[in-house]
Amino acid sequence: MIKKMIIGLLAGVVSGLFSTGGGMILVPAFIYLLDVDDTKARGTSIFCILPMVITSSFFYYKGNFIDWRVAGLCAIGGAIGGYIGAKLLKKLPEKILKIVFTVFLIYVSYKMIT
Amino acid sequence: MSEILIGLVSGIVSGTGMGGGTILIFLLSFLIGIEQHIAQATNLIFFIPTSIVAIIVNLKNKNIDMKLALFISIFGILGAIIGANISIHIDVGILKKCFGVFLATIAIHEIYSIFKIYIKQYKSNKKKRK
Repeated sequence: MIKKMIIGLLAGVVSGLFSTGGGMILVPAFIYLLDVDDTKARGTSIFCILPMVITSSFFYYKGNFIDWRVAGLCAIGGAIGGYIGAKLLKKLPEKILKIVFTVFLIYVSYKMIT
Repeated sequence: MSEILIGLVSGIVSGTGMGGGTILIFLLSFLIGIEQHIAQATNLIFFIPTSIVAIIVNLKNKNIDMKLALFISIFGILGAIIGANISIHIDVGILKKCFGVFLATIAIHEIYSIFKIYIKQYKSNKKKRK
Protein backbone atom coordinates (compact mmCIF):
# COMPACT_ATOMS: atom_id res chain seq x y z
CA MET A 1 0.00 0.00 0.00
CA ILE A 2 2.64 2.53 1.06
CA LYS A 3 4.88 1.26 -1.73
CA LYS A 4 2.18 2.03 -4.30
CA MET A 5 1.53 5.46 -2.80
CA ILE A 6 5.20 6.38 -3.04
CA ILE A 7 5.49 5.07 -6.60
CA GLY A 8 2.46 7.12 -7.69
CA LEU A 9 3.58 10.25 -5.89
CA LEU A 10 7.14 10.05 -7.23
CA ALA A 11 6.02 9.45 -10.82
CA GLY A 12 3.64 12.41 -10.48
CA VAL A 13 6.33 14.76 -9.18
CA VAL A 14 8.72 13.78 -12.00
CA SER A 15 5.94 14.08 -14.56
CA GLY A 16 5.01 17.53 -13.28
CA LEU A 17 8.60 18.74 -13.01
CA PHE A 18 9.87 17.60 -16.41
CA SER A 19 6.61 16.76 -18.23
CA THR A 20 8.23 13.48 -19.23
CA GLY A 21 9.76 10.54 -17.42
CA GLY A 22 6.69 9.34 -15.52
CA GLY A 23 6.76 6.15 -17.56
CA MET A 24 10.48 5.69 -17.04
CA ILE A 25 9.66 5.44 -13.32
CA LEU A 26 6.35 3.57 -13.44
CA VAL A 27 7.31 0.76 -15.83
CA PRO A 28 10.38 -0.50 -13.88
CA ALA A 29 8.60 0.13 -10.55
CA PHE A 30 5.63 -2.00 -11.64
CA ILE A 31 7.89 -4.77 -12.93
CA TYR A 32 10.46 -4.94 -10.13
CA LEU A 33 8.54 -3.73 -7.07
CA LEU A 34 4.98 -4.88 -7.76
CA ASP A 35 5.64 -7.98 -9.92
CA VAL A 36 3.43 -6.82 -12.80
CA ASP A 37 4.28 -8.48 -16.12
CA ASP A 38 5.98 -6.47 -18.86
CA THR A 39 3.07 -5.78 -21.23
CA LYS A 40 0.63 -5.00 -18.44
CA ALA A 41 3.20 -2.68 -16.81
CA ARG A 42 3.48 -0.64 -20.01
CA GLY A 43 -0.28 -0.50 -20.60
CA THR A 44 -1.06 0.44 -17.00
CA SER A 45 1.66 3.10 -16.93
CA ILE A 46 0.26 4.96 -19.96
CA PHE A 47 -3.15 4.98 -18.31
CA CYS A 48 -1.67 6.41 -15.07
CA ILE A 49 0.36 9.11 -16.82
CA LEU A 50 -2.57 10.70 -18.67
CA PRO A 51 -4.21 12.20 -15.54
CA MET A 52 -0.79 13.41 -14.35
CA VAL A 53 -0.16 15.09 -17.71
CA ILE A 54 -3.60 16.71 -17.74
CA THR A 55 -2.99 18.02 -14.19
CA SER A 56 0.45 19.37 -15.15
CA SER A 57 -0.94 20.95 -18.33
CA PHE A 58 -3.36 22.98 -16.24
CA PHE A 59 -0.51 24.54 -14.22
CA TYR A 60 1.74 25.11 -17.24
CA TYR A 61 -1.25 26.74 -18.94
CA LYS A 62 -1.81 29.00 -15.94
CA GLY A 63 1.89 29.86 -15.97
CA ASN A 64 1.53 30.89 -19.64
CA PHE A 65 4.00 28.32 -20.94
CA ILE A 66 1.89 26.78 -23.69
CA ASP A 67 2.75 27.84 -27.23
CA TRP A 68 -0.20 26.53 -29.25
CA ARG A 69 1.48 27.09 -32.62
CA VAL A 70 4.50 24.95 -31.71
CA ALA A 71 2.30 22.34 -30.01
CA GLY A 72 -0.03 22.10 -33.02
CA LEU A 73 2.79 21.69 -35.53
CA CYS A 74 4.54 19.08 -33.38
CA ALA A 75 1.28 17.17 -33.01
CA ILE A 76 0.85 16.96 -36.80
CA GLY A 77 4.33 15.47 -37.15
CA GLY A 78 3.76 13.31 -34.10
CA ALA A 79 0.63 11.67 -35.49
CA ILE A 80 2.46 10.62 -38.67
CA GLY A 81 5.60 9.62 -36.77
CA GLY A 82 3.68 7.56 -34.22
CA TYR A 83 2.21 5.48 -37.01
CA ILE A 84 5.62 4.90 -38.63
CA GLY A 85 7.19 4.10 -35.26
CA ALA A 86 4.59 1.49 -34.37
CA LYS A 87 5.29 -0.28 -37.68
CA LEU A 88 9.06 -0.03 -37.22
CA LEU A 89 8.89 -1.41 -33.68
CA LYS A 90 8.20 -4.91 -34.90
CA LYS A 91 11.30 -4.88 -37.10
CA LEU A 92 13.98 -3.48 -34.78
CA PRO A 93 15.62 -5.63 -32.10
CA GLU A 94 15.02 -4.37 -28.56
CA LYS A 95 18.68 -4.59 -27.57
CA ILE A 96 19.80 -2.14 -30.26
CA LEU A 97 16.96 0.26 -29.44
CA LYS A 98 17.99 0.18 -25.79
CA ILE A 99 21.64 0.90 -26.56
CA VAL A 100 20.83 3.78 -28.93
CA PHE A 101 18.41 5.23 -26.38
CA THR A 102 20.98 5.01 -23.57
CA VAL A 103 23.68 6.75 -25.61
CA PHE A 104 21.16 9.45 -26.44
CA LEU A 105 20.24 9.88 -22.75
CA ILE A 106 23.88 10.29 -21.76
CA TYR A 107 24.39 12.90 -24.48
CA VAL A 108 21.29 14.93 -23.51
CA SER A 109 22.03 14.81 -19.79
CA TYR A 110 25.57 16.06 -20.51
CA LYS A 111 24.15 18.91 -22.64
CA MET A 112 21.57 19.84 -20.00
CA ILE A 113 24.01 19.88 -17.09
CA THR A 114 26.83 21.81 -18.77
CA MET B 1 8.26 23.66 -40.63
CA SER B 2 11.03 22.37 -38.38
CA GLU B 3 8.42 21.88 -35.63
CA ILE B 4 6.60 19.34 -37.82
CA LEU B 5 9.86 17.46 -38.44
CA ILE B 6 10.69 17.45 -34.73
CA GLY B 7 7.19 16.13 -34.02
CA LEU B 8 7.70 13.45 -36.67
CA VAL B 9 10.99 12.23 -35.20
CA SER B 10 9.57 12.21 -31.65
CA GLY B 11 6.46 10.42 -32.87
CA ILE B 12 8.54 7.66 -34.47
CA VAL B 13 10.49 7.21 -31.26
CA SER B 14 7.31 7.25 -29.12
CA GLY B 15 5.87 4.58 -31.38
CA THR B 16 8.82 2.34 -30.65
CA GLY B 17 7.97 2.76 -26.98
CA MET B 18 10.88 4.72 -25.57
CA GLY B 19 11.20 8.30 -24.40
CA GLY B 20 9.59 10.23 -27.24
CA GLY B 21 9.03 13.07 -24.80
CA THR B 22 12.69 13.39 -23.92
CA ILE B 23 13.60 13.68 -27.59
CA LEU B 24 10.85 16.21 -28.27
CA ILE B 25 12.00 18.45 -25.40
CA PHE B 26 15.65 18.12 -26.38
CA LEU B 27 15.13 18.91 -30.07
CA LEU B 28 12.83 21.85 -29.37
CA SER B 29 15.25 23.45 -26.94
CA PHE B 30 18.57 22.69 -28.68
CA LEU B 31 17.61 22.83 -32.37
CA ILE B 32 15.23 25.76 -32.43
CA GLY B 33 16.02 27.38 -29.10
CA ILE B 34 12.63 27.09 -27.42
CA GLU B 35 12.72 27.81 -23.69
CA GLN B 36 12.75 24.68 -21.50
CA HIS B 37 9.41 25.40 -19.80
CA ILE B 38 7.67 25.94 -23.15
CA ALA B 39 9.32 22.83 -24.62
CA GLN B 40 8.03 20.84 -21.64
CA ALA B 41 4.54 22.31 -21.98
CA THR B 42 4.58 21.40 -25.68
CA ASN B 43 5.40 17.84 -24.71
CA LEU B 44 2.40 17.74 -22.36
CA ILE B 45 0.00 18.79 -25.12
CA PHE B 46 1.75 16.43 -27.57
CA PHE B 47 1.30 13.52 -25.17
CA ILE B 48 -2.47 13.79 -24.61
CA PRO B 49 -3.87 12.64 -28.03
CA THR B 50 -1.16 9.99 -28.56
CA SER B 51 -1.71 8.49 -25.11
CA ILE B 52 -5.49 8.39 -25.51
CA VAL B 53 -5.04 6.26 -28.65
CA ALA B 54 -2.57 4.03 -26.80
CA ILE B 55 -4.93 3.64 -23.83
CA ILE B 56 -7.83 2.59 -26.09
CA VAL B 57 -5.61 -0.03 -27.76
CA ASN B 58 -4.39 -1.29 -24.38
CA LEU B 59 -7.93 -1.43 -22.96
CA LYS B 60 -9.04 -3.54 -25.92
CA ASN B 61 -6.08 -5.88 -25.44
CA LYS B 62 -6.77 -6.01 -21.68
CA ASN B 63 -3.27 -4.75 -20.88
CA ILE B 64 -4.33 -2.45 -18.06
CA ASP B 65 -4.57 -3.43 -14.41
CA MET B 66 -7.48 -1.10 -13.60
CA LYS B 67 -7.32 -1.29 -9.79
CA LEU B 68 -3.63 -0.51 -9.76
CA ALA B 69 -4.03 2.19 -12.42
CA LEU B 70 -6.70 4.09 -10.49
CA PHE B 71 -4.79 3.90 -7.20
CA ILE B 72 -1.53 5.09 -8.76
CA SER B 73 -3.36 7.83 -10.69
CA ILE B 74 -4.75 9.42 -7.51
CA PHE B 75 -1.29 9.76 -5.98
CA GLY B 76 0.14 10.63 -9.38
CA ILE B 77 -2.19 13.62 -9.62
CA LEU B 78 -1.08 14.79 -6.15
CA GLY B 79 2.54 14.40 -7.22
CA ALA B 80 1.93 16.24 -10.48
CA ILE B 81 0.43 19.21 -8.61
CA ILE B 82 3.61 19.41 -6.51
CA GLY B 83 5.98 18.83 -9.45
CA ALA B 84 4.31 21.23 -11.87
CA ASN B 85 4.21 24.00 -9.27
CA ILE B 86 7.90 23.58 -8.49
CA SER B 87 8.70 23.56 -12.21
CA ILE B 88 6.84 26.73 -13.16
CA HIS B 89 8.40 28.65 -10.29
CA ILE B 90 12.05 27.70 -10.69
CA ASP B 91 14.68 29.24 -12.91
CA VAL B 92 15.24 27.67 -16.37
CA GLY B 93 18.92 27.00 -15.64
CA ILE B 94 18.12 24.99 -12.51
CA LEU B 95 15.28 23.14 -14.25
CA LYS B 96 17.63 22.09 -17.07
CA LYS B 97 20.25 20.83 -14.63
CA CYS B 98 17.65 18.83 -12.69
CA PHE B 99 16.41 17.34 -15.96
CA GLY B 100 19.99 16.40 -16.87
CA VAL B 101 20.53 14.66 -13.54
CA PHE B 102 17.25 12.79 -13.91
CA LEU B 103 18.18 11.58 -17.41
CA ALA B 104 21.62 10.49 -16.22
CA THR B 105 19.92 8.38 -13.53
CA ILE B 106 17.68 6.75 -16.15
CA ALA B 107 20.76 6.13 -18.34
CA ILE B 108 22.47 4.29 -15.48
CA HIS B 109 19.37 2.13 -15.03
CA GLU B 110 19.30 1.42 -18.79
CA ILE B 111 22.96 0.37 -18.78
CA TYR B 112 22.17 -1.99 -15.92
CA SER B 113 19.22 -3.50 -17.79
CA ILE B 114 21.29 -3.94 -20.97
CA PHE B 115 23.88 -5.84 -18.94
CA LYS B 116 21.12 -8.00 -17.53
CA ILE B 117 20.01 -8.98 -21.04
CA TYR B 118 23.60 -10.02 -21.86
CA ILE B 119 23.99 -12.00 -18.65
CA LYS B 120 20.71 -13.82 -19.34
CA GLN B 121 21.83 -14.68 -22.88
CA TYR B 122 25.23 -15.79 -21.64
CA LYS B 123 23.69 -18.09 -19.04
CA SER B 124 21.20 -19.65 -21.45
CA ASN B 125 23.98 -20.20 -24.01
CA LYS B 126 26.02 -21.95 -21.35
CA LYS B 127 23.10 -24.22 -20.51
CA LYS B 128 22.62 -25.10 -24.18
CA ARG B 129 26.26 -26.13 -24.48
CA LYS B 130 25.92 -28.46 -21.53
